[in-house]
Amino acid sequence: MISNYLTLSVILFSLGILGVISRRNVFTVFMSIEMMLNAANLAFISFSRLHVSMDGQILALMVIAVAAAEASLALAVVILLHKHKGMLDTNIFSLLKG
Amino acid sequence: MTCWRVKAPLTKKNTKKGAFDIMFTELMFFGLAAMTVLGALGLILFKHPMNGAMSFVVTLISLAGLYALLSARLMFLIQLIVYAGAIMSLIIFIIMFLNIQDSDLPDEKGRGMFLLGGAVVITPIAWFLFKIVKSLPGGDTKIIGNGFGGVKEVGLLLFKNWLLPFEIVSILLLVALVGAVVLAGKRGESK
Repeated sequence: MISNYLTLSVILFSLGILGVISRRNVFTVFMSIEMMLNAANLAFISFSRLHVSMDGQILALMVIAVAAAEASLALAVVILLHKHKGMLDTNIFSLLKG
Repeated sequence: MTCWRVKAPLTKKNTKKGAFDIMFTELMFFGLAAMTVLGALGLILFKHPMNGAMSFVVTLISLAGLYALLSARLMFLIQLIVYAGAIMSLIIFIIMFLNIQDSDLPDEKGRGMFLLGGAVVITPIAWFLFKIVKSLPGGDTKIIGNGFGGVKEVGLLLFKNWLLPFEIVSILLLVALVGAVVLAGKRGESK
């Protein structure tokens, strides 16, 4: 049943949101975002199987490309943050507070 | 009569084989789904990011298995090679490169309370989404043959109907490359 796959996708997305809003480690937050992207990919591919058309798979491919771009930029920002502050806490991302 | 006798075992065998296939894919699905959810729980519960990254790799590999069950052959390969291979090894490389000590990690003493509160916030939204999912028509999940989701078919579709988005994604990757070089190269220049 396709709805089982979609239920799994909803569970993964909820766990990703939970990781983003309740953890303070930069890496854990970042990987939770990646997990939400993966939940969206699973939904895309389930719908592509449900309608027997491959457009959903191509959208999932695009999402993977965007995730790769996002990973490179986010890791560069994390390296800069660690060099400046020596910490991995999202609470020190408060440079714009004024 | 003889005709029926010849035919009956054949159909019985066929339905048995079909039922076995469906049971096999269901079993595979539940095993892979359990591994996926366990990996995701490990990611949000482990304190050290290295443990979290390792359990996230488990999630990604079982997701690749789920893509194979959904007969998305190219996506199965790309999930394994690009996501579990390239992106996660980049993340793990950076985690090891920064040489994180326990003193570098943020002090997360109230983590359990935050997780509980977050779960309370998320549960109604997830319940709403479950209701939507249950109302969808449930198709069968038999694995399709004749090249559905294979490299040739997806590639043809990608270069015919999705050519402009494909080019835009290539520009996005170029911009991300330049941005990463600018961001990471700035410190070395100023020293």
